[in-house]
Amino acid sequence: MKRRAALLILLVWPVMAAAATLPELESRLAADPNDMKAANEYRKAVIQAGEYDRAIDFFKKLVTDHPKAAYAWLNYGYAYVDKIPAAGSITQVILANTALTNFTKSIEIERSWIALFTRGNSYLYWPKIFGRGPLAVADLEEAVAISKKGPQKKVYARAWIALGDAYWRTDQPDKAKATWKEALALFPGEPQLEARLARDGEDLEAYIYDQLDPNKRVDTNLSPLWEEP
Amino acid sequence: MRRLILFLLIALPAGAASLRFEEIGGKAGARMQHHTRKFPGPHADVLGMFTSGGATAAVGDYDGDGDEDLYVTDSDAGTPGHLLRNQLKETGKLAFVDVTAEAGVGGGNDARSIVADALWLDADNDGALDLVLARFGTPVLYRNEGKGGFKDVSAGSGLDRFANTIAAIAFDYDNDGRLDLLLGNYFPPVNLIDLPTPHVLPNNLDQADNGGGVSLWRNVTEKDKLRFVEVTEKAGLARHTGWTLDAGHADLDNDGWQDLYLAGDYGTDRLFWNNGDGTFRDGTKEAVGIDTRKGMNVDMGDYDRDGWLDVYVTNITDEYMKECNMLWHNNGNRTFSDLSKETGTCNTLWGWAAKFGDFDDDGWEDLFVVNGLRSAGPENYIPVLVEMIITPDIDFTDVRNWPAIRDRTWSGYQKKKLFRNLGDQSFKEVSAQAGVDNDQDGRGIGMADFDQDGRLDLYQTNANQPALFYRNVTDGTGNWLALKLVGTKSNRDAIGARVTVKAGGQTWIREVNGGNGYAGQSSTLVHVGLGSAGKVDAVEIRWPSGKVEKVSAPLNKITTIQESK
Repeated sequence: MKRRAALLILLVWPVMAAAATLPELESRLAADPNDMKAANEYRKAVIQAGEYDRAIDFFKKLVTDHPKAAYAWLNYGYAYVDKIPAAGSITQVILANTALTNFTKSIEIERSWIALFTRGNSYLYWPKIFGRGPLAVADLEEAVAISKKGPQKKVYARAWIALGDAYWRTDQPDKAKATWKEALALFPGEPQLEARLARDGEDLEAYIYDQLDPNKRVDTNLSPLWEEP
Repeated sequence: MRRLILFLLIALPAGAASLRFEEIGGKAGARMQHHTRKFPGPHADVLGMFTSGGATAAVGDYDGDGDEDLYVTDSDAGTPGHLLRNQLKETGKLAFVDVTAEAGVGGGNDARSIVADALWLDADNDGALDLVLARFGTPVLYRNEGKGGFKDVSAGSGLDRFANTIAAIAFDYDNDGRLDLLLGNYFPPVNLIDLPTPHVLPNNLDQADNGGGVSLWRNVTEKDKLRFVEVTEKAGLARHTGWTLDAGHADLDNDGWQDLYLAGDYGTDRLFWNNGDGTFRDGTKEAVGIDTRKGMNVDMGDYDRDGWLDVYVTNITDEYMKECNMLWHNNGNRTFSDLSKETGTCNTLWGWAAKFGDFDDDGWEDLFVVNGLRSAGPENYIPVLVEMIITPDIDFTDVRNWPAIRDRTWSGYQKKKLFRNLGDQSFKEVSAQAGVDNDQDGRGIGMADFDQDGRLDLYQTNANQPALFYRNVTDGTGNWLALKLVGTKSNRDAIGARVTVKAGGQTWIREVNGGNGYAGQSSTLVHVGLGSAGKVDAVEIRWPSGKVEKVSAPLNKITTIQESK
């Protein structure tokens, strides 16, 4: 009995601890709605605590109070993305679509690398029949172009990878491979690029589709933006 | 040279056979065309789309001549179902003759009702199978009067509650020796043909709770007067209000009582444990968890031969929805683990019926799965549908909000899946090699050894399309045994009987079921593939009455075993 209770505490404790941090992080964000670090910590805690709806409600209020805060809109979108793996298959569609709307709001305010990458990458999750592949290409080409203007960061590789995927999804396999090759020269040893370049045909297709499985949690941790060189 | 060939034949492991089927529906007189119901009024298109089931096959030897017959449903107004009498015993050939008119069992599709499932059961234990037609409406009950004739006894049967029933199974939930009925209801109980309200569709597409649930009917037949009383509330099943699409029964915890698994469309499947006192308790959360998938089928089988029956549930996996099926491995402690990904049985596209069966008699149960919702024109319905789904605050229950499908295709033209059990906790998809990879809009499966050659055959129903009949012509199959169980204290069909077979140092279990699997009832004969085992060491039967008997049964023959009195 004691062992069971101890196990239960071990399981529940991180959830409770994460939930306990939420009010303070909400205060920080209310004070600075574009605080990406606070938003990132907040969403990480939300995932751990499973408080998805609380986050959605919070960001909804934040963008209502601060409609010009580009990164608040971005995180509002991410709050929906974070909930997707915990939702049923139809709700996933609704969440993904709402996230896209919020990413677009963010881009309308500021055409940032992170917002363009995020929206472009999100389009990739939609089946071909929705015709969102060309939209993904456009966003990701712009994100890559932005990344070329300054010093390279490891995180920028994500946009290159996604751009190659977008070319692949729009039946431009040669462009996809060329993009991944160019990216590998910039980011040597990047495992996702190497994995794609090592595959071909159906094998590559299966790999890309596997990466875009909506039931797998998308890595929405943005800390590499400021932590990595 | 002949010696070498003989040696090789003996030395080859049984089960190395390549599964192979030949489609003989037309030749055998069994290619029945199904017609989905055409609705009147402005919502005809949407309601037609939501009710595109009803293509069912029920296997049973209704005339007691020793071969398996078929009842195949139709669903449009005025169209009759088909009672197909197998002529195997008379002519030695597998061929069917349509005897619906003379038997008097073609009814059901009237102006206010739609036939959605069919089920054979010997409700009065007189040795002649009676027939239930489950409907969007009230059920039809035909009593088998013998000599090929049936009488509609619905009026006095007590089965008088209107429901949109889509699944019917027969089992003896209280082990009193009479077969009870469980009806799985899809829509809430409103007449779809004459809509009293437009709010008839699911209130949530992942966790709907405004469906028809289930109803349980206890058999209280005295002599030849078939009669049922509803015990849903008393049995503890009334709180389930999901969109039940299929129901399956089995003794999942090996306690001698039949448990229930309900596949729920638009949300949570439910597992009910039989308390053994006429009631059930909902064990879903602890046993399988709360899911949000689109449960379409329930079948039970011990695929890994560990002595515990496992559960296979089809869901929807497609480009736009990646649910994955569930192969619930029974952990033997009233919990289950989903091993569909690990075993390679996850993706069957828009799944419908699935049946376990050892098609090559190698000793391991394989799986056949049919799929496909609607194969029509080149335009895809999904983008149109998703436009509606993503509309903020849309009311899904309102039929007026759903876009018309017209001639659009929705998860159509899908290849069927046949998974060969490799005996190492994995399956290999072999439908193309086996010749069963048709792309019809499959719904139900009736499985039986129709030609009694020791190989399980398959009858596949399709919505609004002709059925297909796959005769198993696999070469080099293993040994087998088949048991026809006759209950005396137990229900005569022996539904719920547990058979344990030992041969060659190996053990198999099977249970007789009364209609598990979406839109299809398979033979109640217990068929066990034994691979290379050269003799049967032991056969034990645990009858639903609780009596346990050891019997003997020869290889490669059908043996009838009656429960001792």
